[in-house]
Amino acid sequence: MSLIEYYPGDTFFHRLDPRVKIALLIIMTLVIFAVKNFLVIGLIFATVIVLWSSAKLPLYKFKTYFKFLFSLFVILIILQSLFYGGNTILVKPVIPDAVPLIGGSGKVTMEGLVFGFLISLRLLTLVALLPLISMTTPVHLLALGLVRLGMSHKIAYTATTTINLIPTLQAETRTIMDAQKLRGFTTFEDGKWWQKMKAYPTLVVPLVIGAMRGAQLMGVAMDARAFGTSKERTYIETIKMNTADWVTLALITVYAVAALILNFVVL
Amino acid sequence: MSDNVLIRVTNLSYRYPRTKKYVLKNINLEIKKGEFIAVMGKNGAGKTTLCQCLNGIIPNSKRGRVKGKVEVAGLDTQNSSIAMLAQKAGMVLEDPETQLFTTKIKNEIAFGPENLNYPVDDILKSIEWTLKVVRLEGFEERPPTALSGGQKQRLAIASVLAMKPEVLILDEPTSQLDPIGTLEVFGVIRDLKEKYNMTIVIATHKSEEIARFADKVLVLDNGEILAFDTPDKIFRNTDLLQQAWIRPPQVSELANYLTQQGCKIDSFPILLDQAVEMVDEILEAKRGVDGV
Repeated sequence: MSLIEYYPGDTFFHRLDPRVKIALLIIMTLVIFAVKNFLVIGLIFATVIVLWSSAKLPLYKFKTYFKFLFSLFVILIILQSLFYGGNTILVKPVIPDAVPLIGGSGKVTMEGLVFGFLISLRLLTLVALLPLISMTTPVHLLALGLVRLGMSHKIAYTATTTINLIPTLQAETRTIMDAQKLRGFTTFEDGKWWQKMKAYPTLVVPLVIGAMRGAQLMGVAMDARAFGTSKERTYIETIKMNTADWVTLALITVYAVAALILNFVVL
Repeated sequence: MSDNVLIRVTNLSYRYPRTKKYVLKNINLEIKKGEFIAVMGKNGAGKTTLCQCLNGIIPNSKRGRVKGKVEVAGLDTQNSSIAMLAQKAGMVLEDPETQLFTTKIKNEIAFGPENLNYPVDDILKSIEWTLKVVRLEGFEERPPTALSGGQKQRLAIASVLAMKPEVLILDEPTSQLDPIGTLEVFGVIRDLKEKYNMTIVIATHKSEEIARFADKVLVLDNGEILAFDTPDKIFRNTDLLQQAWIRPPQVSELANYLTQQGCKIDSFPILLDQAVEMVDEILEAKRGVDGV
């Protein structure tokens, strides 16, 4: 189980038309990148979390991902505070301004620090938003939604299958690591970071080779099932926008506009 | 092409791209409607390549050099699209994992016919029918990932059957399954032959099952056909078996051993009850000799 894989359920969110969910993803992604106010992004993040619980998605799963993200956020914040620039200097430059070319580097600015936090919060909100769609929509319905929105089936199917491959790769990673542990290789658990860096090829090489072989076999299997051969294609599932779907779509739009107004007009 | 020849292979040679060695050499073969053909040979003998030639994956999807001609139900595989060929020759692969792509069993079965633009009503009917054939009734809404290996492989068979092919090609469908899974899959294959008179080509090492079901065995070695004959003729030919690294059914091994030991065997066994008969005969003969 991962944050991407379909998580069966029968909540309002599960029943929502996939097109509405795709619209939600697109609209909210745009809003998240448009707004700059911490309060607004914080509100959006809170909304996403509320939606999570309304879709009965396992919130605790988010912890492991936050751990992953946390190191990324630290790097982002450090880099932004060093290189973003700005006038409010928190830490004086390591190299004096007088030195040509590299002069002034090493200073930490307030603007950079704030921007680093902003990007981190945006990313966090996005990462929380994605599972809301992927975990509540079976892949074939997601693909069908994309097709009904005008995407070609081949592209829609490839995109959604890629999402589906992530859990497979995660499982594969665990298998390789277990096999390594069984042979007394525990660097990934108790090694220093440079030892881990050195050890990564032993994990990545078999993973990539395995994935490529798997993709090749899958290609043959899909060919044998006539994938992408005819322009017209039938679908045994039908999706239909009902009143609840339209209302939800309207609510999403209202919410997005409200967030923008709050950010650019009120605050 | 005469009416009941379904697959005709004429002087087929093939090599993969960027290689010099031909993995299939001058293959000539005719398979009739309703026949059950087993393809045997050691790993690397060309079984998978031959299977992929029969349903057009070679040369439509995999490049390489093809000489000769493969005709399936009147279609030349070199000039026909995979979509057309998929409706004639369905293919089940070795690994049950890589051939299932969807999150629900009914969608898995529908995937092929949907791609072929079959009407929805037809597809829904074939979902019902194929699930009955592979004995997975009532599984429509379950995710394929929750199935056992044997069930997955049966689902793969159902997904191919839903495209209504005239011949079913199975490339080592049980090599990654446990004995129970193997039994389940062969149970379905037997039903397909006996109840539905399906033409079947199967690459496999399972000689016990071949002895029971196959009309003919095709022995491949190093890309060439060594023999193409009935199972009992193949399994009693010890030189051939050794050359192609094929293990015959255990009862045939016993019979071959007894023959080497100087026993005279009239009817060569490939099945267990035949072996029981053989042992009875030998014992009877022995008693007769002892009695004199």
